[in-house]
Amino acid sequence: MFGKKKSEGFKIIIVGCGKVGTTLVSQLTREGHDITIIDKDQSIVNDVTGTYDVMGVAGNGASFTVLQDAGISDADLLIAVTDSDELNLLCCTLAKQFGNLSAIARVRTPDYSKETNYLRQKLGLAMIINPELEAALEASAILALPNALEVNSFAHGQATLVKFRLPEDNDLVGRTIASIGSSLKSNITFCAIERKGEVYIPSGAFTLEADDVISYVSNRRNASNFLTEIGYKSNKVKDAMIIGGGKGAYYLAEQLISMGIKVKIIETDKARCEELSLLLPKAIIINGDGIDQELLKAEGIQSAESFIPLTGIDEVNVLLTLHAKNVSDAKVITKINKINYNEVLDKLDLGSVIYPKFITSEAIVAYVRARQNSGKSSNIETLYHMFDSRIEAIEFKVDAASAVTGVPLKDLKRKDDVLVAFINRKGRIIIPKGTDSIEKGDTVMIVTKNTGFTDIQDILA
Amino acid sequence: MNSKIIRYLFGKVLIILGMLLLLPCLTALIYREQEGYMYLMVAVVTVLLGLLFSLKKPEDTVFYFKDGCFITALSWVIMSAIGAVPFVLTGEIPFYVDALFETVSGFTTTGASILSNVEALSHCSLLWRSFTHWIGGMGVLVFLLAIVPMNGGSHMNLMRAESPGPSVGKLVPKAGETAKILYVIYMGLTVLEFIFLVCGKMPVFDAICTSFGTAGTGGFGIKCDSMLSYSPYIQWVVTVFMLLFGVNFNAYFLVLFGQIKKALSMEEVKTYFAVIVGAVAIITFDVVKICGNFKDAIRHTSFTVASIITTTGFGTIDFNKWSVTSRLLLVSLMFIGACAGSTGGGIKVSRFIILFKTVKKELLSYMHPKSIKKIKMDDRPVEHEVVRSTDVYFITFVIIFVVSLFAISIDGKDLVTSFTAVAATINNIGPGLELVGPTENYAFFSPFSKIVLMIDMLAGRLELFPLVLLFYPVMWRDLLFSTIREKRKKKKID
Repeated sequence: MFGKKKSEGFKIIIVGCGKVGTTLVSQLTREGHDITIIDKDQSIVNDVTGTYDVMGVAGNGASFTVLQDAGISDADLLIAVTDSDELNLLCCTLAKQFGNLSAIARVRTPDYSKETNYLRQKLGLAMIINPELEAALEASAILALPNALEVNSFAHGQATLVKFRLPEDNDLVGRTIASIGSSLKSNITFCAIERKGEVYIPSGAFTLEADDVISYVSNRRNASNFLTEIGYKSNKVKDAMIIGGGKGAYYLAEQLISMGIKVKIIETDKARCEELSLLLPKAIIINGDGIDQELLKAEGIQSAESFIPLTGIDEVNVLLTLHAKNVSDAKVITKINKINYNEVLDKLDLGSVIYPKFITSEAIVAYVRARQNSGKSSNIETLYHMFDSRIEAIEFKVDAASAVTGVPLKDLKRKDDVLVAFINRKGRIIIPKGTDSIEKGDTVMIVTKNTGFTDIQDILA
Repeated sequence: MNSKIIRYLFGKVLIILGMLLLLPCLTALIYREQEGYMYLMVAVVTVLLGLLFSLKKPEDTVFYFKDGCFITALSWVIMSAIGAVPFVLTGEIPFYVDALFETVSGFTTTGASILSNVEALSHCSLLWRSFTHWIGGMGVLVFLLAIVPMNGGSHMNLMRAESPGPSVGKLVPKAGETAKILYVIYMGLTVLEFIFLVCGKMPVFDAICTSFGTAGTGGFGIKCDSMLSYSPYIQWVVTVFMLLFGVNFNAYFLVLFGQIKKALSMEEVKTYFAVIVGAVAIITFDVVKICGNFKDAIRHTSFTVASIITTTGFGTIDFNKWSVTSRLLLVSLMFIGACAGSTGGGIKVSRFIILFKTVKKELLSYMHPKSIKKIKMDDRPVEHEVVRSTDVYFITFVIIFVVSLFAISIDGKDLVTSFTAVAATINNIGPGLELVGPTENYAFFSPFSKIVLMIDMLAGRLELFPLVLLFYPVMWRDLLFSTIREKRKKKKID
């Protein structure tokens, strides 16, 4: 009992203790980090410090003294998740002045969302996170492939990872990865295959069998094309009905339209409707109350292929979902912002449920984990665990020329069970062939069964 | 209530207590005293009991503030009950109530004794007496926090229950780390004092016991005349260290991290020293007449003031003979006590600061009925909740004080004796005035009065409410029901 566990956690300051802030506190304390929270509301600070083993400071997170009180001088990471985008950015910019720490800001307004990369580079932030956008990306990924087992988006929605089960009668059964690759039009990378509880990272000679759970990576467009090509029914939806016209609805509509899905948005506020119609000229904007059954009927809920309630009120979303399930066969996605009754929700058969607060906190936790795994000078952008943590998918930033860069992949001597899933070159996703090479400035995703990679050079044998 | 975690933590407390009981055993080994066997026996039994209780770690380790208070109060009572056993077994204090009084007085860092001749005690018993001060000073549950890794956010509930002061803050984000830092500062200062004392040619054993007594702001001496027979140098060292242990430990934390300026500007620390300087100045003026020369007068006055305000209770002089004004001043100091977050007792300087500021605010509201003024301390707003609980604390303190006074008045002692006896125990000081003055002891009280005074000591050390909760029937009912519910659930599963 006198054993002393050395704490190797980071010193993290979290500014703003709303839904995301609290979720982060809960997850990061569990992983053993030293956390200090800042919130302008003293009673929230009291609540959080009473529930979790963290220190609290009440005040404005963008104030010099408050940050100092929170111990910014020796902090490793600052996460700003207040309501205000501007405050979050200001917090991070200020915090960076104190010295060597990383900063993560939540920025939600569409005005900034197009400039995320610019902001991130200019302000030197580790991460800018937009939960509404991430939620929209996830929702659109689900709508694109409603029949897949799991769909995840990477590289800010540019790349998609799809998991599906190979049916017995499919053409791919019995063929090797290499032979499939050469005959397909859509560019994809087979990342991992799960067969009878074992997970494999497939080489070219790997033969697929029926009932394999296959996960592959591709750019967004190809994700569904591939499934169509191999004759797997993807049932991509053709239209979507969105209730509520908030930020999330805007992001989602934008995604869906770019995927060729027709979008209809029902929003109560007239002025917002006008705004939306300017922003989304291709969408149908209906000014009316989305809770009104008659209106929903008139707008054709019965024949809608997908239905996504995105009102600000969770209870209403759940109710609308249940209603839609009742009157139509639409694919429904429920967004839950706040309420925390997972067990009850599971029983309700809501279909796909999206929790923006978890998307945000998971992304941040993944970042922190990546930093922790690799020490402080790492080139890891993000780290994902797949198949119950048996496989790691790591995004590396390639900052400098090295033995890895400029060499065609087929000539790179790699370790076993290491796969280059995709190369992100200036926002464009390249599914690499043997002749492609990694270049300076790329971001590369590696899928591997090894652990503890901290640099792209670690993939070399 | 989570009865399982209460049982588990309780077991851990017993194990720690058992380990701590080994220190007197070691002393007995060095001095070849037979009494050591008794300590060893109690230690072994306690550890075994502790292991039995904490054998199974509960899955649900979440506990709330009430559980924290409950486990704290109960631990202190049981620790005292066990800690008293060796005194009875060795025959040095034959009556259990007396032994219990001595141990409660030790753990609560009061220093009120029922022994008329301490020098007759064996070395191991003397050490145990002083060591209880050291354990009680920082608190055994804070120690538990420092060494037992726990998960969940429940730690603060233990610390809040055991630490003195109106609002308990952490020094670093993790409660466990905070507890460690506190204990490191505590041990560091104790060792420092020991070194200074040994340099002053104090025998090693005396220096250890005195350091323990000072660190916990306890005040058990190992000589019948307390500190009188030691050299002026030693008396000055003890004076300084008593004052240091009465300072809010947050100040030391700030000093350790190079923020000396911030430490010195702490309102509570400044007020604390201002009160001390003021009191010393006034009393010295008075005592010069008795001592005859200024040098002795200021030494005795400083020592006494430090001893009283930090609620230590060592003595170099019989202040019973001082003028009424001086004695009254000392009694006032008893109530003020040390800083919050120190090892001292009393109502605490910071509470008085808040109370005075509340009065000032009230006056302002008479002048300007619609005015709004937030009470501030160290340039930060004091939350309404803290102000409210400070007010309630004060009122509860007065209630407990008056009730206790009535209870011991049955013994028929004079008012000054009775009043200061309660004041000296509930504020964890030790010596009072008249019959319980610095050269006297508490032996003459009836067992009933002794029990009342013990409750006062525990209430004072645990900041009233955790202990009062023990007397709150709803608490016990809650615990009983939760245990029964657990049992039923188990049956159902079986």
